[in-house]
Amino acid sequence: MPINSRLRSFFPAIVILSFLSCGQPGQNKSAATSSDSSSLSSARATIKYAKGFRIDYYDHYKILSLLDHVGEKTDTLHYLLLPEGGTPPSDHPGLPVITIPVKSLVVLSSSHVGLTEFAGVADRITGLGSLKYINSPLVRQRIKAGAVKEVGLDNSVNNELLVAMHPGALLTMSNPDAAAAGKNKTLAEAGVPLIPVSEWLETTPLGRAEWVKLVAALVNREDIVNAKFDSVEQEYKKLAAIGAGAATHPSVIIGMPYKGSWFMPAGESYMVQLLNDAGAGYHWKDSKGTGSLSLNFETVAPEALKADYWLNLGTVDSKTDIVARDTRFTQFAPFKKGTIYNNTLRTNDIGSNDYWESGTANPQLILADLIRIMHPDLLPKDSLYYYKQMK
Amino acid sequence: MPVISSKVRLAGLLLLLLLAFLLDISVGSVKIPLGDVFRILFSSSSGDDTWKFIVEKIRLPKACTAVLAGCGLSVSGLQMQTLFRNPLADPSVLGITAGASLGVAMVMLAGGSIATLFAIRELGVSGSLLITVAACLGAGLIMMVVLLLSGRLRDNVLMLIIGIMIGSITTSIISIWQYFSAPEEVKDYLLWLFGSLGGVTGGQLLILSTVTILGLIMAWLSSKMLDALLLGENYARSMGLNPQRARLIIICSSSLLAGSITAFCGPIGFVGIAVPHITRQLFRTSSHRILVPACCLIGTLLLLLCDVLSQLPGNQTALPINIITALIGSPVVITLLLRQKNLNAF
Repeated sequence: MPINSRLRSFFPAIVILSFLSCGQPGQNKSAATSSDSSSLSSARATIKYAKGFRIDYYDHYKILSLLDHVGEKTDTLHYLLLPEGGTPPSDHPGLPVITIPVKSLVVLSSSHVGLTEFAGVADRITGLGSLKYINSPLVRQRIKAGAVKEVGLDNSVNNELLVAMHPGALLTMSNPDAAAAGKNKTLAEAGVPLIPVSEWLETTPLGRAEWVKLVAALVNREDIVNAKFDSVEQEYKKLAAIGAGAATHPSVIIGMPYKGSWFMPAGESYMVQLLNDAGAGYHWKDSKGTGSLSLNFETVAPEALKADYWLNLGTVDSKTDIVARDTRFTQFAPFKKGTIYNNTLRTNDIGSNDYWESGTANPQLILADLIRIMHPDLLPKDSLYYYKQMK
Repeated sequence: MPVISSKVRLAGLLLLLLLAFLLDISVGSVKIPLGDVFRILFSSSSGDDTWKFIVEKIRLPKACTAVLAGCGLSVSGLQMQTLFRNPLADPSVLGITAGASLGVAMVMLAGGSIATLFAIRELGVSGSLLITVAACLGAGLIMMVVLLLSGRLRDNVLMLIIGIMIGSITTSIISIWQYFSAPEEVKDYLLWLFGSLGGVTGGQLLILSTVTILGLIMAWLSSKMLDALLLGENYARSMGLNPQRARLIIICSSSLLAGSITAFCGPIGFVGIAVPHITRQLFRTSSHRILVPACCLIGTLLLLLCDVLSQLPGNQTALPINIITALIGSPVVITLLLRQKNLNAF
């Protein structure tokens, strides 16, 4: 019930925002400012799955907190999200201020592009870490039009360019701890609000996707994004229930060895969560760790020789590619049976894979694919979204 | 007398090497009883397909690669140390290894973008073969430069310095690419840099062994020249040796060895510099007729043992071979050198 009543009270805001998004970019800028700042906090984001951030709502501002949930520390960075023209509250001195709604964003990773697009504000991206790995047609069009600058990745971020661009927010891939330790101090001092978006540290698919709510808070779009996320969540749960009801649990191996090391997702990683929800059997599902296990070829070989499915192989695109990597792969059961599926269906003409972009915000699509592949009796196999069979 | 004792030592080493080879094949993450390992190796019929796959397709090629890399790198190192009369020389001094890395970096990083790799893939060349071809081309390119320069220069010390300079140029070109590459590409490249014996199989193993054996034969044939060079170029000339030509042959052989092994296994460090020292200490001779085969045996033994250690039984992770070679090898060299106190071979 609370969801319903909340939705009703947001209704005016939805109407205004959807009306605005139809207008000319130049026009909606001024209009958005006045309406967004007056209607601040009419919608609130509640975080259910993500462990890496929190948003607290006050009368005239929001506080965004990034939490380091991996180490012992949980409290690292705080930002004051203040409507344009608002006066900073006196009880939170010294917090970096981000003026909302943020009108220009610089994002460094492709998953950030996905989160931004989900929130419907990909047209506000003015800078990217690299222009080469983009899938979103909207963003690529803007790159073509010269509206997006390349600011560099990680250690080669161009500080001068960023200071000159002065984006409303800079989303980086770094760990919140590193940012707290004063990395990129120059940018912070120059007043470029740097937010480490560590969605990749989340251990559940919905936790990763929920970072869209951080973007929503920055652009005052909680209402729309909440509704979209709720439907993602419902769809995911519906699918997970289907996966849980699977009678068989086909065995799966993930990835490819490189120079003798085979990186398998560890038991507490989001990939294994997806496999579990899809009703797959995974040999290392009880292993510790949220990242990946570095195994040698010999350890994986007994599993690989008799596996039912082989998924997520990296950049290979066909069986020929797989043989070219290593002829021994031909002896694996999935190779013989033709049950190799790679998440590369939505790779575009410049070799950029949408799985890494929109996939973060749409785990229900990934889960649906996995169920379709491994349990065609539960969901029809005909239309895969991210995955394709290697032939 | 010393010749006989050297032969006995060589025979002893050969025996140890055989044992190490068998040990390398019988231990690993998956426990396979010794009897079954032998049955798989020496009879065609075997019960367990998984074990057969592990022994025949994983362990055997890896052990063979260790033998080839051990021989090649140690002999290449010996040649470089003698040619330049410098105890610090190793297969990488001429920049050949850096050249191979350059080729690999070109594929993995330079075109930089996945887009370039994508374009290359469209041509039908892909995977490990592409990396290997690129590494060979890189090593070959630097080797040509070195050979051209060596034709112009008469002095070995100058040659050594120039080799190191070429290596530095090559390395900084790679660094530039690394700096501008995406993290995941750099990660792939770094993994390659760690070195690995496990990625060479089938046809690749055949190519690697052909080239390595060719290089080793050249090294064996040039051992008289190496002996003479050890006494100085003037002395070598007085013995009727053409130092220019000798240098050409030695550089050629060394480049073939270091270049091909780096191309297939990545830059495996340490073996090339350490094994010649260990060998000279054990055999107390400066005759390359003995040093060349002895280096082969000791290099192989060292690399096989390192490979065993890198994947201790029951452990699911294999440490990169480069970490082990230096970790295990350095104390051995230090111990041997402490007993000696001076390097009498130079």
